[in-house]
Amino acid sequence: MHAPTATPDAARVGSDTIAALRLKLPHAVLDESWQTPTQATLTVKLDELPNVVSTLYHEHDGWLSVMAGNDERTINGNFALYYALSMEGAEKSFIVVRAEVPAATEEFPSVTPLVPAAVWHEREVRDMFGLTPVGLPDERRLVLPDDWPDGLHPLRKDSMDYRLRPEPTGDDETYQFKNDAKGETTVVPLGPLHITSDEPGHFRLFVDGEDIIDADYRMFYVHRGMEKVAETRMGYNEVTFLADRVCGICGYAHSVAYTTSIENALGIAVPARAQAIRSVLLETERLHSHLLNLGLACHFVGFDTGFMQFFRVREKTMTLAEMLTGSRKTYALNLIGGVRRDILGEQHVATLRLIGELREEVTRLVEMLLATPNLEGRVKGVGILDPGIAREYSPVGPTVRGSGHRRDTRVDHAFAGYGGVAMPVNVGDGCDVLSRTLVRVSEFFDSLSIIEQILADAPGGPVLTEDFTYKPHKFALGFTEAPRGEDIHWSMTGDNQKLFRWRCRASTYANWPVLRYMLRGNTVSDAPLIVASIDPCYSCTDRVTVVDVNKASSVTVPYKEMERYCRERTNSPLK
Amino acid sequence: MFKLLKEVLRTGEATVKYPFAPVEVAKDFRGKPEHQAANCIACAACTVACPANALGMETDAGAGTRTWSINYGRCVFCGRCEEVCPTDAIRLTPDFELAVAVKADLVRTAVFRLAPCVACGKPFAPEKEVAYVTALIEATAPSEADAERRRQLVATCPACKRAHDLGQIAGSRVVRAMETSR
Amino acid sequence: MTRHITETDVRAAGPFAKIDTPADVVRMKSALLKDIRRSAYVYRVDCGGCNACEIEIFASITPVFDAERFGIKVVASPRHADILLFTGAVTRSMRMPALRAYEAAPDPKIVVSYGACGVSGGIFHDLYCVWGGTDKILPVDVYIPGCPPTPAATVYGFAVALGLLGQKLKAETHVQAEGERVAVAHPSIPYNLRVLVEREARRMAGYRQGGDIAEKFLVMLEQPGLVPLTDRMSTFAAAETDPRVAEILARLGDVVTEAIA
Repeated sequence: MHAPTATPDAARVGSDTIAALRLKLPHAVLDESWQTPTQATLTVKLDELPNVVSTLYHEHDGWLSVMAGNDERTINGNFALYYALSMEGAEKSFIVVRAEVPAATEEFPSVTPLVPAAVWHEREVRDMFGLTPVGLPDERRLVLPDDWPDGLHPLRKDSMDYRLRPEPTGDDETYQFKNDAKGETTVVPLGPLHITSDEPGHFRLFVDGEDIIDADYRMFYVHRGMEKVAETRMGYNEVTFLADRVCGICGYAHSVAYTTSIENALGIAVPARAQAIRSVLLETERLHSHLLNLGLACHFVGFDTGFMQFFRVREKTMTLAEMLTGSRKTYALNLIGGVRRDILGEQHVATLRLIGELREEVTRLVEMLLATPNLEGRVKGVGILDPGIAREYSPVGPTVRGSGHRRDTRVDHAFAGYGGVAMPVNVGDGCDVLSRTLVRVSEFFDSLSIIEQILADAPGGPVLTEDFTYKPHKFALGFTEAPRGEDIHWSMTGDNQKLFRWRCRASTYANWPVLRYMLRGNTVSDAPLIVASIDPCYSCTDRVTVVDVNKASSVTVPYKEMERYCRERTNSPLK
Repeated sequence: MFKLLKEVLRTGEATVKYPFAPVEVAKDFRGKPEHQAANCIACAACTVACPANALGMETDAGAGTRTWSINYGRCVFCGRCEEVCPTDAIRLTPDFELAVAVKADLVRTAVFRLAPCVACGKPFAPEKEVAYVTALIEATAPSEADAERRRQLVATCPACKRAHDLGQIAGSRVVRAMETSR
Repeated sequence: MTRHITETDVRAAGPFAKIDTPADVVRMKSALLKDIRRSAYVYRVDCGGCNACEIEIFASITPVFDAERFGIKVVASPRHADILLFTGAVTRSMRMPALRAYEAAPDPKIVVSYGACGVSGGIFHDLYCVWGGTDKILPVDVYIPGCPPTPAATVYGFAVALGLLGQKLKAETHVQAEGERVAVAHPSIPYNLRVLVEREARRMAGYRQGGDIAEKFLVMLEQPGLVPLTDRMSTFAAAETDPRVAEILARLGDVVTEAIA
């Protein structure tokens, strides 16, 4: 049987790629559907899943954005997997590869051996749905706590109430950390009570003397069960406020990604003024987040006065957010179909004034930072992210741009109010901590200009539409460029005025897997600096385990001690 | 180093005076939601819209009351309650001084009486809500007969309404026709 | 596998016993509060927060709010702490690390539960992987609500924790008075027209700004006088100096004109 070849449609971006794919793998594609003119979903044969994803990834400039599992047994009798690829070649679009996993076998061929970027997603789908990726070597849990009952998969529709709290069974962690070192190493555990900004995450560094041979980490100490509550307790609009709280630093980016996914799924025409306001707020969020990271960069190289100066100026971005949204953080400004506040004349003027002050003050602070002799010595050539490794794992944001890849969702897949905005994509080719820092500096100033441009061109009219109805089982992707890179959400509507499924992939989720490679070959004292350079978003707790490869000894160092060592570089805690 | 010193001198005193002097907050800052119980009809729109379940509504059929409550400790200050309130009974204020040593002090409640159903006499809906809707009907009904019919509906509990509807349907000619055709 | 939920599954914070504070520690604690006369050291424990609380704590100790003015200093180890600041709804994985941090801090210690999640679990209060707030696992002395609390709210909370300021909030219960009724707003304007105006204002500028603009507009409509309505509306819009507000007022005027026609 030959799958029918769809006629390429000029209005549909990505159709040439799909035609080429069908030519190469003529029997693979079973069905093709379009959610928006730039989003297609291809249902493929389960056996062909790795080939299809790999072909799109390697031959058509695809990057893996997210994979969502879905329990569709009540709809079609099967589970389904959706691998969403951001196509960044000649045709910039999203192609989602969908495969149904029979409920009888609960197994699918792992894509990870061909596309390593799929590793975390496949581990997560095993935790949450109990589907086994056959051929995935890593059999450890990713998201669920160590003492979570085996065989209880929270996102299966029939598994449990969203409030079920199994009794704790053990007080010890049983997670196996990985080490690829050939010889023996010393283990340096970092966390879970913390690393860069006090969020839990447990790091294990495998070292030989002072040199890091390998590193592994256990995240998801903050796993709360948001995706489950979104499809049970909450309605569509309530989830926008939940999405605000995926991340306290860039929550608005999540909120916009979520609302966009629903708006895309239902074909809602969001008023242009609402989209402009969303972009202004997204850039406001980037301003505070980048100043936070630049401040932390000062802190980790031992330049605390600089840290205080950046935080002083950062308050202006918080004032800006408070004036525009009523809150310094968690903007809570989205509804499906638009926004909840307008930018009136008075606020327009105040915004421009604050933008002017920020430009002037940050220019001076950046000059000061770059003139600090210590800086270059500490950050140049440190924490190299090889562009080849980056290509394999699909990291996002300043992390991937610092390694020469020109990826920016605002430009590749213009969303919200970015359509008509002139903006460059800032890339650096140093691939190191310095390169990533400089990318953020440039982006900060670009954000200021973007806000000015959008405010100048913002159309009038409404900021909200309620002219739509919810239809069941419609799905689509929604995406934003958060300060740390692309946030991407996949949502499917349900038949009870609630989501059927919400998959939310935060930008840092895409950046963690490459961190291991960035740490290798550096010294222990640079570890916090390197971790901070991906601007991680996880909530960390206080220990670093250092394992010495040669001495085969293990020392647990409090994280703050590691941080102190990073800053002062004297009195190694390993001696 | 010189640049740094210059910056420090230029900045001068950056710290606000709070708590010794009030701190400035934005005009539409989203702080403590203030409930004007006198203006509330206990319709529960806010409790449905609240994403955090900080607002609650509990009915005590025995006592014939419905108790509205807000837990400032769970509130996420999104302002959805203000957005959906039909009588402007709740509004977010600039007040942010909410810290307490006694957790019970974070909760505020308002007790409303339920009105009895005109048909069965059991309490079913807040008295103030029934009165408010009745006033709206009087203002909008096209005729006095229509207003009277609607007033009756508003004052009847759902169970009695259902029973009434069933009686009407059973008595209607259409149903009888359907039954004979079968 | 299907597992059905029971009441206890939902309600229980866990089988662990709550920690009791011995009487002598209580005495030491009140002595500490009354007579601190030195810096108070704060250790932060993130029990699964989203980082918004963490960043606002950062903002509280940096130049603009500078909590160090009051001797409040954030320290690197719970062993040095007088005050433990717990953020987050207490996720399943963070329960033990949080308890270990509590055990590590010397008595007497003040426990502050920070942010909506810490105080009560916040928006996450009943999820499967959280316990729903600090006081589900530990005795708490002071609660600082907010999502997240602003730096000013944080400074206020510290002041309450150290006994420098008293709390303002008190539990209150309103009981419906005899004859308590809610009047329909703007009775002289037809109800349906008022709803149309309010809806349009919200569509144009959201619930808060739009609501305030609609209110001004409705008050203007109600004013008695001999000037024709259309003239009044256009004079009102023309007097507005903010071009965006003028646009919204003009739109509300159109709504009224369409409704009358």
